[in-house]
Amino acid sequence: MPVQLSKSLAFALAFSTIAGAGVALAAGSHSGGHGHGPAIGEPGDGAAADRTIEVVMSDNYFEPEHLTIAAGETVRFVVKNDGEFLHEFNLGTAAMHATHQKEMATMMEHGMITPTGIDHEKMQMDHGGHGMEHDDANSVLVEPGATKELVWRFTADTHLEFACNIPGHYEAGMMGEIDVTKPAGSGS
Amino acid sequence: MKTWLNARNSRAARNTRAAFAAVGVVTALLGVPPALAGTYDLTIGETTINVSGSDRTALAINGTVPGPTLRFKEGEDLVINVTNTLDEDTSIHWHGLIVPTSQDGVPGLSFDGIKPGTTHTYRFPAQQSGTYWFHSHSGLQEQSGVYGSIVIEPQGREPFRYDREYVVVLSDWHDTKPEKILANLKKQSDYYNYNQRTLLSLFDEAEEKGFDAALADRLDWGGMRMTPTDIADISGYTFLVNGKNPEQNWTGLFAPGERVRLRFINAAAMTYFDVRIPGLEMTVVQADGNNVQPVKVDEFRIAVAETYDVIVRPMEDQAYTLVAEPLERGGLARGTLAPRDGMTAEVPGLRPRPLLTMADMSHGDMEGMDHAAMGHSMPAAEAPGAVEPPMSGMDHAAMGHGTMPQADGPPAQQPMSGMDHAAMGHAMPPASADADPFYAPGSGLTPKAANGGKFLSYADLKAQRPLYEVREPTREIEIRLTGNMERYFWSINDKKYSEAEPIRLTYGERVRFKFVNETMMTHPMHLHGMWTILDNGNGKWNPVKHVVSIAPGTTVLAEVEVDAPGRWAFHCHLMYHMATGMFREVIVEGGPQAAALN
Amino acid sequence: MTLLSKQARLPAALAGALALTFLALPAEAAEMDDQIYTFFQLDQNEYRLNDEGEDLYAWDAQGWIGTDYDKLFLKSEGEYALDGEWEKAEVQVLYSRLISDFFDVQAGVRYDFEPDPERAYGVIGLQGLAPQFFEVDAALFVSNKGDVSARFEAEYELLITQRLVLQPSAELDVAVQEVDELGIGSGPSGIELGLRLRYEITREIAPYIGVHYESDLFDTADFTRDEGGEVDAVSFVAGVRLFF
Repeated sequence: MPVQLSKSLAFALAFSTIAGAGVALAAGSHSGGHGHGPAIGEPGDGAAADRTIEVVMSDNYFEPEHLTIAAGETVRFVVKNDGEFLHEFNLGTAAMHATHQKEMATMMEHGMITPTGIDHEKMQMDHGGHGMEHDDANSVLVEPGATKELVWRFTADTHLEFACNIPGHYEAGMMGEIDVTKPAGSGS
Repeated sequence: MKTWLNARNSRAARNTRAAFAAVGVVTALLGVPPALAGTYDLTIGETTINVSGSDRTALAINGTVPGPTLRFKEGEDLVINVTNTLDEDTSIHWHGLIVPTSQDGVPGLSFDGIKPGTTHTYRFPAQQSGTYWFHSHSGLQEQSGVYGSIVIEPQGREPFRYDREYVVVLSDWHDTKPEKILANLKKQSDYYNYNQRTLLSLFDEAEEKGFDAALADRLDWGGMRMTPTDIADISGYTFLVNGKNPEQNWTGLFAPGERVRLRFINAAAMTYFDVRIPGLEMTVVQADGNNVQPVKVDEFRIAVAETYDVIVRPMEDQAYTLVAEPLERGGLARGTLAPRDGMTAEVPGLRPRPLLTMADMSHGDMEGMDHAAMGHSMPAAEAPGAVEPPMSGMDHAAMGHGTMPQADGPPAQQPMSGMDHAAMGHAMPPASADADPFYAPGSGLTPKAANGGKFLSYADLKAQRPLYEVREPTREIEIRLTGNMERYFWSINDKKYSEAEPIRLTYGERVRFKFVNETMMTHPMHLHGMWTILDNGNGKWNPVKHVVSIAPGTTVLAEVEVDAPGRWAFHCHLMYHMATGMFREVIVEGGPQAAALN
Repeated sequence: MTLLSKQARLPAALAGALALTFLALPAEAAEMDDQIYTFFQLDQNEYRLNDEGEDLYAWDAQGWIGTDYDKLFLKSEGEYALDGEWEKAEVQVLYSRLISDFFDVQAGVRYDFEPDPERAYGVIGLQGLAPQFFEVDAALFVSNKGDVSARFEAEYELLITQRLVLQPSAELDVAVQEVDELGIGSGPSGIELGLRLRYEITREIAPYIGVHYESDLFDTADFTRDEGGEVDAVSFVAGVRLFF
């Protein structure tokens, strides 16, 4: 048991750190893009969305697998899970995904998620004083047959990935590329 | 014609017939899409190879060892001409392919074999996709080089993607002809064991655990007339990756960031390999040709005749060593993944040779019976609380037929006792790296990843998409894996093939095989013609395989949907075990093709 | 048997026995797992120099041909004094049947060309591997004169290294009744102890050195003494163990 406790504690700490980092990145980009990491953007307002992109999840891949979005655009992602397994749609850099994969592996180990769904009870359990819900703004977990939306405002030209970080899925190729281009009409 | 070097872009290949032409074996494409049909020519003959430092005569397919990679397309009607230029009979068995019984290539069961100087034509549809292989099923020819790989492209999109792929055929080569090896084992079963405990090693053992304990351990083993060093029957192998020895260093190229699919095939006659690529995580996506839910591992053990497909994604501009270390650590198979030809990475040293423990001697039960005192292997089911107590004694006696007693009711409804142990797969994955439920607790063979990370367990294998509906087995058949180590012959339920009646199954039933390993060797059991659903506790996601490996001291359950009429081979895929008796004919009676059987 | 000299008859008997083994078994095996294999081993193939300064050549050989369960065994042992005299020469031809994981029961005939007078025996025995890896061979003999005797042999292979092997061996002969002509008394009649250290260059070829002790026991020793013979002898041995 001590091992498990410390694991969940470590997880909780890692989780909160990353959640914080996501916000910090978003905030950094918002305030001029002089942060340390690449600017992934920030949660957007659905009403202000410039366009809607439908992403279909299958086992285990996305369609489409390549998107081009202009910096400054707010996109409403409609993410539909056509597969039999639980999938995630997560916006970020490759490095962020790599970190998040470890968290997802821990969540799988703890039974909060299973290959086919979310155990909402376990997900909401209090783990060492830290909430463990999968509630990042840049990510949605979509159970088989379900459709979810994520609205995101892309702030700076960069290269991002959308990814499913359920253990093994990213590695099997369930990810796509996003080229965030310079805003239309911007000089250099 | 090193077809395995023909790395190619999978996406490009997916939509073009050109990929087939790129593979040297394809000699003619008679059919034009959409009516897929391909004709392939294979010639089995002698060739000279040198992988051990001296020239030796090997038996080759189309002149190479291993033979070519056959690339088929799911749904393709295959016509394969096999010409025999040897002066003895030969045959080709399509390992893992679901084919009609007449096309399965087992002399004496499917057909008469391919006579010298003749050409035999196989015809069957490719009704599946994935990584498979093919090999001679005649005598001991497989050990001499008669094996090759099969890749079947699926019709639909695969549940994973990759930019490049390589077939990685692992095998073992011996300079001594296989018939001579077997004759040597018959004369002296430890002929090839040069890793025995000695007087000198007794001092080491005494230093480790005290003289009394070391001596007591020796006496325990001596009492059974067994040795803990008996990991492999044969030493002196050279281990090969795609036919190349470690110095010849098979190399697969990649561009950093690419996903590379490695299709591992264990075509060795006798060798289990522990496979790793230091510096890279591997994501296992397919086992025995069937997709599995992706699982990330640092290392995996591949039983003889199994296949595993993994995806690796080397990000750095550096070489990585592909290490396939035989279970008995008698050398290694080595290859390299590199951004450019000629690059190499460090080759790790061999890890210590494992030693068997008393757990490996527990004969598939958990009773801790004193086998030394019994002097003879006792069927596990005779233990108290066994699943079918009234039957097992009968079975042990000479009943004169090889079929197993039928359980009166659904076996699952009967109380499970302690002897139906961990290997029966409780749904939980192993709690730690050294607790694989498919090894006897405390087994000396339990694998550990070299980097302390994740080692693939059978318990991790979950079908990506179940092939069969879940249903209760209609009956259970006990398959006790038995043998006589001292005289070197192997058997099932204490009978060699030549002594046993076939196992008779009825078309449409679902049979549960209960494998009880009463020997101290690990046996990769292979059923022809039908899939084997490994019961690893994952319910509807239980993986579908063509080889199920059963470690010493364990009991493993597997189910078979009996959906293929005819006469099929069922055997241990360790070649010398198969050849000396660990083999059964399985006859599936009834069904749509029953009339065609005779 | 006057047509052949005694020296010529031994090889002839061996050849005959081998021919018999081939005739006795089917020409081809019906099944892959039921094939016929062969084995031949000269476990002792050595020069002996005893404490009396006498030297001799000694052999102890056995071979078989057959399947896992059924074999025809050939066993032979003997001593030839290098001054030109046969001391012992014995050949056994036995049918051998595997009756458990580690043991064969054997039955057949034994013929002693030496010592004089020649004797034929019926044999029934048990050979195999006992717990703790002792190789044992126990046989009961009934001679054509109705005399009954028994022999117990045991050997152990102590691996010093993978190739350096120390092999202690012991043999005890027991006679049920006195055999005057052969100078054998009833009861334990003789014992042989050996200790041989071999180096296995290959499994097939292993040169060795060692010591060999043999002694007549009890009544047999008395007979020997009465005839002025040596009751016991210690020999230094050197030889090559061969295996085919």
